[in-house]
Amino acid sequence: MKRTVIGLIAALAAAAAPAVALAQGKYVHANNSGYDNLDPHAIYDVGRAASRINFYDGLYRWVDNPPKLIPWLAESHTASADGKTWTFKLKQGVKFHDGSEMTADDVVYSIERMLATKKGASSLFIPIIDPGSTKAPDKYTVVFNLKEASAIFMSTVPEILIVNAKLVKANEKDGDWGQAWLAKNVASTGSYKLKRYDPAIGFVGERFKEHFAGWGPKAFDEIEFRTVLETNTRVQGLIKGDFQGTDGYLPYDQILRLKQEKNVQILEQESMRVFYFSVHNGRPPLNDVHFRRALAYAFDYDGFINDILKGAVARNPGPNPNNLWGAPKDLKGFAFDLEKAKAELAQVKEPIRPITIGALAGFSESEQSATLLQNAAKKVGIEIKIESAPWQVIQSRMQDREKNYDLVPLWKSTYYVDPNNWVGELYGSRYLNTRNYSYNNDPELDKWINDALATNDQAKRQELYEKAARKVTDEAMGIFVYNTKWYGPYAANVVGIRFCPIGSGQDMRWASFK
Amino acid sequence: MTGSWRRTAARFLGDRAALMGASLILLLVLAAVFAPLLSPFPADVAEFHTANRLRPPDGVNWLGTDRMGSDLLSRILFGARITISIALIAVGSAVLLGVPVGLVAGYYGGWPSDLLMRVSDIFLAVPQIVLAIAIAQTLGPSIENVILALSITYWPFWARLVYAETRSIKNEVFVESAIALGASSLRVMAMHILPNIASAIIVRTSIGMGATILTAAALGFLGLGAPPPAPEWGRMIAESREFLPEAWWYATAPGIAIFMVVMGFNLLGDGLRDILDPRIRRAVGRHA
Amino acid sequence: MRRLEMVLSRLAWFFPTMAGLIVIVFLISNVIPTDPVRIVAGENATPEQVAALRVKLGYDKPIAIQLLNHFRDVLSGNLGVSIYTQRPISEDLAKRLPATLELSITALSLAILLGIPLGVVSALRRNAWIDQVLRVISVSGLAIAAFWLAMELQFLFSMKLRVAPLNGRIDGFGPEPYTGFYVLDSLIGRDWESLGSALSHLALPALTLALPAAATILRFARAGVLEVINSNHVLYQRAMGIPPRLIVWKYVLRNALISTVTQIGLIFGVLLTNAVVIETVFDWPGLGSFAVQSILQSDHKAIIGFTIWTGGLIVVVNLLVDLLHSVIDPRGAR
Repeated sequence: MKRTVIGLIAALAAAAAPAVALAQGKYVHANNSGYDNLDPHAIYDVGRAASRINFYDGLYRWVDNPPKLIPWLAESHTASADGKTWTFKLKQGVKFHDGSEMTADDVVYSIERMLATKKGASSLFIPIIDPGSTKAPDKYTVVFNLKEASAIFMSTVPEILIVNAKLVKANEKDGDWGQAWLAKNVASTGSYKLKRYDPAIGFVGERFKEHFAGWGPKAFDEIEFRTVLETNTRVQGLIKGDFQGTDGYLPYDQILRLKQEKNVQILEQESMRVFYFSVHNGRPPLNDVHFRRALAYAFDYDGFINDILKGAVARNPGPNPNNLWGAPKDLKGFAFDLEKAKAELAQVKEPIRPITIGALAGFSESEQSATLLQNAAKKVGIEIKIESAPWQVIQSRMQDREKNYDLVPLWKSTYYVDPNNWVGELYGSRYLNTRNYSYNNDPELDKWINDALATNDQAKRQELYEKAARKVTDEAMGIFVYNTKWYGPYAANVVGIRFCPIGSGQDMRWASFK
Repeated sequence: MTGSWRRTAARFLGDRAALMGASLILLLVLAAVFAPLLSPFPADVAEFHTANRLRPPDGVNWLGTDRMGSDLLSRILFGARITISIALIAVGSAVLLGVPVGLVAGYYGGWPSDLLMRVSDIFLAVPQIVLAIAIAQTLGPSIENVILALSITYWPFWARLVYAETRSIKNEVFVESAIALGASSLRVMAMHILPNIASAIIVRTSIGMGATILTAAALGFLGLGAPPPAPEWGRMIAESREFLPEAWWYATAPGIAIFMVVMGFNLLGDGLRDILDPRIRRAVGRHA
Repeated sequence: MRRLEMVLSRLAWFFPTMAGLIVIVFLISNVIPTDPVRIVAGENATPEQVAALRVKLGYDKPIAIQLLNHFRDVLSGNLGVSIYTQRPISEDLAKRLPATLELSITALSLAILLGIPLGVVSALRRNAWIDQVLRVISVSGLAIAAFWLAMELQFLFSMKLRVAPLNGRIDGFGPEPYTGFYVLDSLIGRDWESLGSALSHLALPALTLALPAAATILRFARAGVLEVINSNHVLYQRAMGIPPRLIVWKYVLRNALISTVTQIGLIFGVLLTNAVVIETVFDWPGLGSFAVQSILQSDHKAIIGFTIWTGGLIVVVNLLVDLLHSVIDPRGAR
């Protein structure tokens, strides 16, 4: 009894002491969303990038900013003249975590698994790759046979993450492609091996010493990614030293607070994450260009960027991020001007009805931008109603033409580095019902977007995307506000973070403590 | 009759708690009614000054400003209107629905009354707030829907209460004699039973107002209350969360406003209980 | 005998009540303009993927059939799979129940430890200044918005003084799970680091939850004591020359206890109500935050799962209270 009491006191004392006794070489990251599934083919969102990127490898990999594509499991690739046949030469001697060698069969199995389970990033490949069309002529060669030429195929190749085919097959149940098993297990060649996992808490990865790409001398032995939903807790944990890093898209007020702390450093990078109002173009009166322009004139861009966000971001007048090719350098965009808004509104023929904005609950920027627009729109005679809902709910409604809100203020992040990720997916009718939330159906725009996908001529593509961006902006098919800066908060002794808009700097294999 | 009312009024004035409660409520009503006159910046309910955001209290903005740069004092005063209308209408309709149901069920008995009571049991089987959140979420955020969600989930409480009270006095001599004298059921319920359970209803209405204000604020806090830019107190507290610890004033003022109002209704309810409902006196023998 | 009857009828009514709740929740969730299948399908799903999933999950059937199917599943103990976490709902609930119980039992104990002595003092010093102060405090305790109190405590103790964690239940993965109660588990496993972490995380939410409950208990204890003091029984004993201290200990305290215990079922209901919001503020992985999340995400099977478990929990607590009551107050066959 007495011993228990003493132990208890000791425990309390230990809890009260500053947390310095962290295992050497362990990096703890506080993440703002949950890791409910580890299956690399089931998830494809920014919030859960860490498990995909640290546990799995692709044929190529995105690194750095501006993003570069480097050969990873593949050593090289060639494309046929018609842009349909893509041949990848694999590195030899790459080991899975269980010691077996990764071969072309694993790549074929992985793409077939994606096409069959139809989840996560598979929507990038379903339209262009038929099941059974991918071949492995020898142990180290993979041939993708596309249905049509696709200029973005190469940018999406890193999303084909390679699983250990033999191991997954051994754990298949009722033909589920091992989905139940892979949700909680890792079968890969990746940088880290799964050590511990609890969907409600997060995961711990242990360095895979035999990883084919080798390791820097001081790389972390262990990485832990923990779900901490509350922003304030992440910030406080970082200050206290419980965490060594957290997400780089904190509200700017928190960044300012962190900048005053000695044991925290803030890394800055211009990201590719465009904040805009998604506008439902397919519904009156929003199908009238004058009504949309009236709204675009009614947003106080300066007040939002300079006062509310304290100038922490850069104005981005069009759909494509400024720091990417395909964004016209001289694009002017809209400015806050209520007189012009009234003039545009006067030209609207359809009766004007109250507009509904679906704001992202818990994301104050989304909510504040909605209130700001609501306030100004009222002055020109447009009533706006704001409904806040969690992201999952908003997203599921956006995908439905009837249930979609009129406007949604949100970010479009980088899934692959190509203007098609922005202007193409958001306004091309080929992406209707998936990522085209604008319900835009514009033949001219479609032609440019489709032509840009069908050619590998970079100059031609740039011209087409710039034309598309101009048209989308001019006709206010969306209200484009800013491009995000990434302020990566890390413990002061962390070095070697390689930020890339894809994965948001969470690729931990390059980092270490000083 | 007048004599007894005079006695009651005298007692009321003698009860410090009840008086204090009544004055707090009066304060709320005054704030709500005269919000446009009392507010230093009445336009700030819907007007933003982004350059002024998150200012601590000073001579201009006595309670500081919020995340859009609006004056918090003005918004809190206008918020009193939302609070008072939600509480009044939600509790009012719950009472109007629950009391007749409980009265009829308690008076007649039998299987219809059992059924009614079982239906009310269903609502009482989980915390009220859970059902209220679910209904408010379904209907979408607006003041009307908050009121609806609160009344739908609150009437069973009144049905239960009145049912129990009615059952307990149904067999009293004065009720039985009224029936024997040939009074209609409606008359018995309205003229003999209701007046005798009225005090219990009044006492609990006051306390129920407080509880309902708290629940409504919780709905607002979870983002299910009146949509922005309505100056709803619970939502203001939720908004302030990410600006702590710097903007300490942001949550403080609306929190205290809620506290004062609920305190007012609770004190008044306590006082009324002492005065009107001798069976459940707060301090047994205190007035003896 | 009467008690047994009450217990049985309570149990008998449990199932129809739950069935009614399922219907209500089901109807509510079918009005929501959110499509659960699209949430499962995820951001990048094509219309074909969504359609296939709809058939697989049974959402293509008419509402009545879906309801019947769901009844069948629930009766066979299968609450279904959460749309959002993709895990069996029973699994999530089973994991979260100990969290809520740990929090509410701690809060209840705190509330009893605070409420009963203060209630007794308040009654014994009736109308003295201490009684007045305590009464003001107890009325205040019921007038504070729980989520606001939670935030102010976080502000003071976590952000300013930095002596308590802001939220969460533990740092990291927690102790070896024997029971799911972290305090108990870390004692069993002699994992002192986890114990410290669990206790420090428990402090603020338990305090927030305990305050209104303590206020309620204080009032009941005070009333209970006053009732005895004024009863002829105590007057008689006083007249018999039995020392007042003995009277307090033997009769008064016991009575305060009894009048509190009878109310514990009610207090527990209040605790659960407050836990719904407080768990959300403290990011406490219990049933309350589960309910809020499920509702906000329109995860209606999860809402039904929560409803059944909470309904069951309340019944169990009431049964326990009945039992406890008959133990400490054998004459009370009321």
